[in-house]
Amino acid sequence: MATCKECKSFFGREDDPGQGDCVTRQVDPRQSYYRAKPVEAEKDASKCGSFQKK
Amino acid sequence: MKCTECAFEAPAAKFRYLYNARIDASITMRQCPQCQSWLAVNEMNSEAQHLVTPGEAPWGKSSGIEGLADDFNA
Amino acid sequence: MAKSQQARDVDELVKNREWWFVAEKTRSSRLDYLRKAVWKKGAIGGNYAPGIKIDLKFPQLFTEKWKEHDGDPIMLQKANALAHVLDNTPIFITDHAQLVGYVGSAPHEIVWHWQGVSMVNEEIYNEQGIIPEPEQESLETLAELNDYWGGRTAVDKLARVLDPEDAVKFMSGAIGWGTPTSAVTYSTKDFDFIFQGFEALLAKVEQCIEDTEEKLQGEPSPELLPLYEKIPNWEAMQIILEAGIRYAKRYARLARTVAEHFESDPKRREELLRVAETCERVPAKPPRSLQESFQFDHFVQVILRYETFEGAWPHRPDYVHGPFYDQDVNVEKRLTKEEAIDLVGEHLIRTYEVGIFAPRWTREGLQGITGTWVWTMGGVKPDGSDACNDLTVAYMQAARLVRVSNPTFGFRWHPKVKDEVMRECFECIRHGLGYPSMRNDPVLVANSVHWHGHPVEEARTWVHQACMSPCPTTKYGCQPFRMASATANCAKMVEYALHNGYDPVVNMQMGPQTGDPREFKDFEEFFQAWVKQMEWLRNILVRTVNLGRVKDPVFFSRPVLSSVYERAIETGTDACDPTNGERGNAWVTGFTWVENADSLAAVKKFIYDEKKYTMAQLMDALNANWDGYEEMRLDFVKNAPKWGNDDDYVDEIMVRCLREVSRHAKEIKCPSNNNWPLLPENVSGNIHYSSVVGALPNGRRLGDALYDGGISPGPGLDRKGPTAVLKSCGKFDHVTDGRAFLLNQRLSPTQLSGEKGYQLWKAYMKTWADLGLDHVQFNMVDDATLRAAQKDPEKYQEVIVRVAGYSAHFVDISRKTQDNIIQRTVQGLG
Repeated sequence: MATCKECKSFFGREDDPGQGDCVTRQVDPRQSYYRAKPVEAEKDASKCGSFQKK
Repeated sequence: MKCTECAFEAPAAKFRYLYNARIDASITMRQCPQCQSWLAVNEMNSEAQHLVTPGEAPWGKSSGIEGLADDFNA
Repeated sequence: MAKSQQARDVDELVKNREWWFVAEKTRSSRLDYLRKAVWKKGAIGGNYAPGIKIDLKFPQLFTEKWKEHDGDPIMLQKANALAHVLDNTPIFITDHAQLVGYVGSAPHEIVWHWQGVSMVNEEIYNEQGIIPEPEQESLETLAELNDYWGGRTAVDKLARVLDPEDAVKFMSGAIGWGTPTSAVTYSTKDFDFIFQGFEALLAKVEQCIEDTEEKLQGEPSPELLPLYEKIPNWEAMQIILEAGIRYAKRYARLARTVAEHFESDPKRREELLRVAETCERVPAKPPRSLQESFQFDHFVQVILRYETFEGAWPHRPDYVHGPFYDQDVNVEKRLTKEEAIDLVGEHLIRTYEVGIFAPRWTREGLQGITGTWVWTMGGVKPDGSDACNDLTVAYMQAARLVRVSNPTFGFRWHPKVKDEVMRECFECIRHGLGYPSMRNDPVLVANSVHWHGHPVEEARTWVHQACMSPCPTTKYGCQPFRMASATANCAKMVEYALHNGYDPVVNMQMGPQTGDPREFKDFEEFFQAWVKQMEWLRNILVRTVNLGRVKDPVFFSRPVLSSVYERAIETGTDACDPTNGERGNAWVTGFTWVENADSLAAVKKFIYDEKKYTMAQLMDALNANWDGYEEMRLDFVKNAPKWGNDDDYVDEIMVRCLREVSRHAKEIKCPSNNNWPLLPENVSGNIHYSSVVGALPNGRRLGDALYDGGISPGPGLDRKGPTAVLKSCGKFDHVTDGRAFLLNQRLSPTQLSGEKGYQLWKAYMKTWADLGLDHVQFNMVDDATLRAAQKDPEKYQEVIVRVAGYSAHFVDISRKTQDNIIQRTVQGLG
């Protein structure tokens, strides 16, 4: 099972290794930006459409 | 009153009153109950004058020193 | 040296007054990107722009944690829910941005505050386009949320304790505009206190808990009992302050991650690392630079807007951030002026982009914007010396570059303001921004002392609480609650006097039965009926808001605001608890006020003085909405005296009405036992109420827009020129006859071009100040442009107009409001 921590977008937290940020590049019709969503390192990523193995 | 767009005829009060062009003028806007067109109406003689379109006088007519709409004759 | 092609192009654009294109050509590439990157959040004529979506993550996260803490004291329950949101909601950093923080999960999303009134929550199902994809799933989520929150919202709870008759009349929509709860509100902030940093505030809270817990170990007595309730309030503040620091650190992490793993441009990488350092520093610790100061401020504003719909933005940013600007630009020269303008412009943009979903009645009253975010500029320091600084000028310059319609500025004019600063104000007005509004500082400081007893040094700190009302930013002066939910549809006063208290539009007996006017013997009897209706209308609104205010800490609760309010921290109470020392600063906003004076004058002249018509004839005409009485209506419009023409006949009636209200304002009290003066102004309530107020003796029909300003004459009815308008408005005392008075004026951009234009305006402003008026604001866009914008809105997306206490893009307001603005008299000066 793929987990979030194996993904290129996952950046673990130094203060809490079990947690991290899923950081992705977003482009909408007006602007481009980087977005962070908190995720657990061990979260099942098998159904995530954005998963990219590190 | 007769709608200039669909020829519907009824007393002016049957045409839904929307709002005035200016409080000190007799030109108002009413809506035809049949074709829903917005009509410029002379309240003095209950006559529908023409269809109201965006930016057209007398709608959008100020008083004062400039920008006076030359097509406004209240 | 010959001018470059670009400079010549700009000159040409200036000559043609194409200000948006001037801005586009003269601002930095960063500001150009950031300004164009903003998704427009104000509703366009009542509907949201394509692409705008509700942020569903926020209510889901909040409700999930809220349920977990069911049974906790409400402030603690809410603090935990909000902390969960701050820890888990997605965050983002826009390319080129140096300031971060947004109320929502993505740039095109707006937050929905569902905790206020469940009856308007249902509206959301029918709002086209704003439900996120997949729509069916989102609708199901919304339905689940609404099912849970139905009966649990602040107004649902309030409705259970309100007097049923008051509740029905308040909710009729005919007399008042607002909801008496913190769920839709605004609050003053004391940045001198907040800028100590959240860690310092946490230390204060922890000390309070420690001291109180020690007391609770003492001998049992009645004095100990209230202390038990304070502990969870302090714990709630602790949770919020800690969550605020963590929220900022999430941005720091994101900025650092992007700098280290994604960004290839070394300059941008450096900027991102500075963003990271900034967010690691603030709001935990006091700011040390302009960037940290802006960032600290913005985090506070964002977090507060997760707590509630803060519909205004009381602030004095040039005063708060000015010392950091001076230090960075003038003393330590860490920033060039251009770099500083980039930051100032971005501060305006970060504010402009904030959007909050509003129910339809709010959107109609505030067309084109999310809220009335009037920032206060200029003024004096507590010692009375000039407070204008280089940042005041920088904000004016940045405003012309980014041309946002929100925030706008209200400038506190006083006799010591330098010419350089006045020129900057004028340039903003000349560039068609519609702001700053000009406020008379000495008058308004005296007014604050007169009405609410604020000490003069505190009164001098005032900010615009919303569009107009001053409020000190001090420990006991700060106002935490929108008392202006007592917003009166004042035209109903004269309408009810004519109809024996009956409302012919909503078909209800609303006011007291003051008699059939056909039976009145003289004008005095009619006027006394008006006085009774005026008192009734103000009383019912104030009763309701007073109750909403005292119940707010238990029906809604403000852990975020409490955690940054000195008096709330000291007393362990909710910021909105009126027992914690607030001096009181309430006012009744008077929408549709001037119709009273014009209608009373018409009745006095034609019915009683000249006996040209009988009251029975007038009532027949009004009951027919003037249909079939056009000649008579025109007589009432053209031949009855009208406010704004320096005509004592009607002006004395206006003064008499204001003095009756001011007497009443001191008889009724807010929960802090302070007064309730009237503040006539309209936002776009004159359009909202146009289909709620029936035909009146001033010649309006049901459906016609009401007059646009608080004391502005009827559009086109001020025929004697600008000085006559000022003279009429100067016949009453702007200190003692009310809280503030909104005056809209339209000026000619052609006449006011060049240096001569500035000198004409300055002379006008001198007359305004000499006559003691407290407010004036200007539209300076000509008819031709506005009419062209109606015909071809796509080409005129960036034309801004002053609506009332706020500015909006012309194409975003309804056709009726557009027409109403164009109808206003263009005054020639000089």
